[in-house]
Amino acid sequence: MSTSGDTEGDITRAELAELAALFDQFEFAFDPLSLAAREAESRFDDQVRSLFDQRIGPKYPEVDFTSFYCKVKSACRAYLRKQLRSQR
Amino acid sequence: MKTCVSFEDLLRINRPQVDYMQKIGEAITDPNSLDACEIFTKQVRIVEGLLIQTYGIAAEFSKRATDLQEIADIWSSMAMFCNVVLQTLSLLKDKFPYCGAPQLYDMALDYKLECDKRFRGVLEEVSCQRVEIPKGILPELS
Repeated sequence: MSTSGDTEGDITRAELAELAALFDQFEFAFDPLSLAAREAESRFDDQVRSLFDQRIGPKYPEVDFTSFYCKVKSACRAYLRKQLRSQR
Repeated sequence: MKTCVSFEDLLRINRPQVDYMQKIGEAITDPNSLDACEIFTKQVRIVEGLLIQTYGIAAEFSKRATDLQEIADIWSSMAMFCNVVLQTLSLLKDKFPYCGAPQLYDMALDYKLECDKRFRGVLEEVSCQRVEIPKGILPELS
């Protein structure tokens, strides 16, 4: 159960936090060519694909992977911005 | 008083260093002399540092931006800056093959491709905004 007032979804808040951390490591990397950034991107793509195949695709056949991937990225941006605001 | 510098300001501030690299490169008549290579390499390293740092600032600005179009503009501008470096080095990398120019050319190309990838990714997100997915798939952030 979330304690911050955020509502859980099929993708949990903990899962989104993990994806956002990976997204942060490659999308906003100071060195985009680093091994760490490329590994983070690979893990992010694998995790989004796995969540879609195992949970989202079977439950929501009308949702395609491309749209899901986009929405996850936008959700990660929002999550990271919220984190930045809370740090200020 | 706080002084704010926009990303466009930053690119404008950096541009003379790229122009200066071109000026030095074109002015040197004997690129094989050690002195010439040393002078040119020094400027190449300055531009390399600017490219790395400016990319890092683009990444930080894009993280803080709330509007996807603003993020797309940042990556588009950064890609254009990489292009300026690439165009400047397109002939100089052959004139100075042992003074860091080919390495900087490769790096600028890699950085430009990363900018292009982020730019395309943001545009995909913009077009995805028109697509609705059922509520409850993703957690709602308060």
